[in-house]
Amino acid sequence: MTELIGGEMTAWSDLDGNHGPAPAAGAEWGPLLGTATGHTLVAGPHAPALIDAIPAGQLTLLVRGVPDAESLAARYATRPGVTIRCGSLEKLSGAYDTVVALDGLDRLLTTESAGLTWDETLTQLLSLLRPRGRLVLRVENGFGLHRLLALPPTPADTEWVGPDGHTRPTGPDAVRARLSAAGVPVVRDYAAYPGALLGGEILADQALRGFLEATLTAAPAPSPAQLAEPARLITGALRHGLADALAPAWVFVAGPGPAGPEALIAAAPPPGVAAAPAVHAGPRASAAGSAGAAGSGDVAASAAGSAGVAGSGDVAAGAEEVRRDAGSRWVRGGGVPVPLGRTLEDLLVEAARRRATPVVRELLTAWQQSPAAGVPAGQVVVGADGVHRGLVPAGRPVEALRRLAATLIAGGDTHLWPSPADEAELTALLAGMTGRELDPRDAPAAPRPGVTSIRELTIVRDRLERELADARAQHEFYERQIAFRDHELKRLRRHNAVLSATVPGRAANTLVGGLKAGRRAVRAVVRRTRG
Amino acid sequence: MHHANHYYGHSHVLARYCGLDDTDPPRLHGYLQHGWNIGDGLAPDHEYTPGVPSFLWSERTRRRAWSLGRRQGYVVGAPFAYLLAMDPLSDSDRREGTIWYPFHGWEGQHVVGDHDGLMAEIRRTEDGPVTVCLYWQEYRSAKLRRRYESAGFRVICHGYRGGWWRDLDPGFLYRQLAELRRHRRVASNRLCSAVFYGALAGCEPAVYGDPMHLENEKAAFGGQPRILREWAALHGPHPDPEAAHRIAVDELGADRLLSPAELRRLLGWPMPTSVPDAELTGVLTR
Repeated sequence: MTELIGGEMTAWSDLDGNHGPAPAAGAEWGPLLGTATGHTLVAGPHAPALIDAIPAGQLTLLVRGVPDAESLAARYATRPGVTIRCGSLEKLSGAYDTVVALDGLDRLLTTESAGLTWDETLTQLLSLLRPRGRLVLRVENGFGLHRLLALPPTPADTEWVGPDGHTRPTGPDAVRARLSAAGVPVVRDYAAYPGALLGGEILADQALRGFLEATLTAAPAPSPAQLAEPARLITGALRHGLADALAPAWVFVAGPGPAGPEALIAAAPPPGVAAAPAVHAGPRASAAGSAGAAGSGDVAASAAGSAGVAGSGDVAAGAEEVRRDAGSRWVRGGGVPVPLGRTLEDLLVEAARRRATPVVRELLTAWQQSPAAGVPAGQVVVGADGVHRGLVPAGRPVEALRRLAATLIAGGDTHLWPSPADEAELTALLAGMTGRELDPRDAPAAPRPGVTSIRELTIVRDRLERELADARAQHEFYERQIAFRDHELKRLRRHNAVLSATVPGRAANTLVGGLKAGRRAVRAVVRRTRG
Repeated sequence: MHHANHYYGHSHVLARYCGLDDTDPPRLHGYLQHGWNIGDGLAPDHEYTPGVPSFLWSERTRRRAWSLGRRQGYVVGAPFAYLLAMDPLSDSDRREGTIWYPFHGWEGQHVVGDHDGLMAEIRRTEDGPVTVCLYWQEYRSAKLRRRYESAGFRVICHGYRGGWWRDLDPGFLYRQLAELRRHRRVASNRLCSAVFYGALAGCEPAVYGDPMHLENEKAAFGGQPRILREWAALHGPHPDPEAAHRIAVDELGADRLLSPAELRRLLGWPMPTSVPDAELTGVLTR
C-alpha cells in the first residue's frame, strides 16, 4: 500500500543515485536489521536488499520521491505488512517499535518542507518512536577521513539546502548524550567504514590492528577523485587510535534490548573475486558512496543501470560477526580465530622508510617461503609467532610481489632502492632480495592503475621529473664517454697506421696477408674435393 | 659505468660470486665503493652522474652519503667480504708475524714522512717476522724497497690497482687475502681498508707509528683527526681484536652481503647461462 502523506516529490528518486549519494547499503548492516521487531519504520532511502533483511511483520517505508514509492510498492506487492509512505518526514504520523535511519537524517525532508535543523529532524524522528522502542541511526562524520580526502564537492541535486553543521553532533559522545537525554540510551555504537562496523573494544585492541587495516583498506576508494588514497590515512588512524574519530560515519543502536555484536564485517567475497580485493565494487562501495559528500560516483551510476536502484548490494552475501569466544579470543564468523598482529605491508613499508634493508630482506624472504607467498602483502597478518596468515586466497607469488612493488611506488616508498625502478624492475629486485631469480621482462603484466588522487599524482609527477632529469644527465655522461672513446679509437688507428708503415709493420701485414691467402686456397681445395 | 669499479679486481670478485665470467666482468651499472672511506663512500674527486646508484660497503657510509645528498646509495658490502665468503677462513691457516701496510699515496701522490723512524718503531713493536706490503708506486722504487729489506723485513706488493680499464689486476684481492691468512697481525700507520680486511680475515689489527702525510693533503670529512676520534678503539699497537673484528664486520658490511640473485639484479648483470630453469620460468629458487 502506498500513501502520499504530503510534501512528496513527483519527479525525484533517491534510490537511483542520480541526484545524490546512492542509498544506504552495506552487507555488514544486515545483522543489525535482522533484530528489528514490532512495527518497523525504515526512514529514508535504503537499498532494497537491506529492507529485505528486516524480518518484522509490519514494515513502513518512508521515501520522498513518487518513483521510489512506486518502485518499492512493486517490489513488495506480494509481501504482506509492508506500507509505503511517500512525502516529508514532518508529515508522517504513527508510533513505531523500531526506527531505522541508516541513511542518516539528511534525506528525510522534501523541497516542500520548511526545513528543519539536524537536531529538529532527530526530534521529529524520535517522536515517531514508541516508548522503549529501538532506534538504529547512522550519523555521518563531518570530519571523517572521506571528508578530509575529498576534493571540493559540487553540490548534488539533493543539496537544495546544505548540511546543517551547527546542530549536527560532532562526535559519538555528543550523539550518545543527545539520545540519552531523549530517553533512548545508546547500547552500542560503531565506527562505520565501508564494509565494516567496528565497536569500541575491537578498535582499542592494538593486536587487531593488522586485521582491521587489511579489512578496511581492501574496500575500494569511495570516490574516484580525491586528495589521497584513503589506505594510508586508515592505517595511520588505526595506529594513532583515531579510527573512531575519523570514521566516515557512526552507527548507533539505541533503546532497550540486546547490545548487538561487537563488530560486523562484510563477509569475504567468494574465491576468485577475493584474489583481487582492490577491484571489489559491491555493497561496500555503496556504503562509502552514501557517506561521501558529493556522492554521485561511478559506483552508484553503474549500479543504477540495471535495476533502476543504486546500491542494491546483496545483503544475503552476508556479514561476519567478530566477537570474543569463551576463551576470550577474537573469532569471526563460525569461530575462525581472527589473526593478531600487523600486516606484512605495514611492516615492509615501515622497514623501507627506515631504510632497514636487512629487515625488508628478512620480511620478504619469510613471506615468500610461507604458504601465504601468493597473498598480497596488505592481506597478510604477521603474528607474534612469525606465522603469516593470509586473509584472502593465495594467487601467484610473483603477482603478489608485483602488487607490493606497485604499492611501494604509488606510495613514494622506494627510497630504499636505486632508481629508476619501474614496477617490473622493482618486482625483480624484490624477488632478488628473497634469493629468487626473476627477469623484469618475466614479471606479470599488471593493470595500469587509474591514479586519480592528487597525492599519488604528485608522487608520480615528482618521480617522472626526477627520472627525466637523471636520464638527461646520464645521456650527457654517455655522450662524453662516446666522445672520449671516439678519441681513443682515432688515436689507436693513427698508431696502427704509423706502425703499419714501419718495416716490421709491413712485414707483419705481408705475413697476415699470406696467411689469409693460404687459408682461402685451402678452403677452395676442400670445397672442390667435397663437391 | 666508472673505471674505478674495476680497481683491485673488485668487479672480478663480484662477477665470480654472481656465477659469471670473472675474467671479463660485465659493465656494472653504478659506482662501486673501492676503499674504506669516511665520506660518502667514493673518492673525493669522483664524478657523479645523477641517478646512478652507489654500491656502498656499510650502512654507516650510506647514512653519511644520504646526508650529503647522495641518495642513490645501496649497501652491498665490500668485495673483499665476498671473496672471504667464497674462500672462508680455515683452522688450518698457519699464521705467523705481522703484515704491515705503510701509508701510501695513490697514482700521482707522494707520501712525505720518516720511513726510517717508522721502521724502527715497527721493529720495537713487532716480535715476529714482518712483511711490509708496499703500494706499486713505492714498490717500484728499488731504493725504498731496499731500505725496508735491509731493515730485515720481507717486502711484497699485491699488484696494480688498475685504472681507466688498463693494468687491471683481477688477482689483487686474492693475493692480499692469501697474505693476510699467513699472518697473525695486520698493521698500518693509518687506519685503512687493509687493516679492516686483515681484521675480517682473522688477523689482530694495529694502527700505530707516524701517520705521515701526502703532499698537499686535504683533510676531507674531518681527515685524520676525525679518524683518530671516531675509530679510537682500533688505534694503538694492541687494540682489542674482538672489538676490532666487530667494527670490521660493520665497516666492510660483511653482515650485509647480498645473494647472487639480488646482486646481479642491482648491478644490472645477466643471469648465468648455467641456469637453464630460469629461461623456462624466469623464476627459480636459489
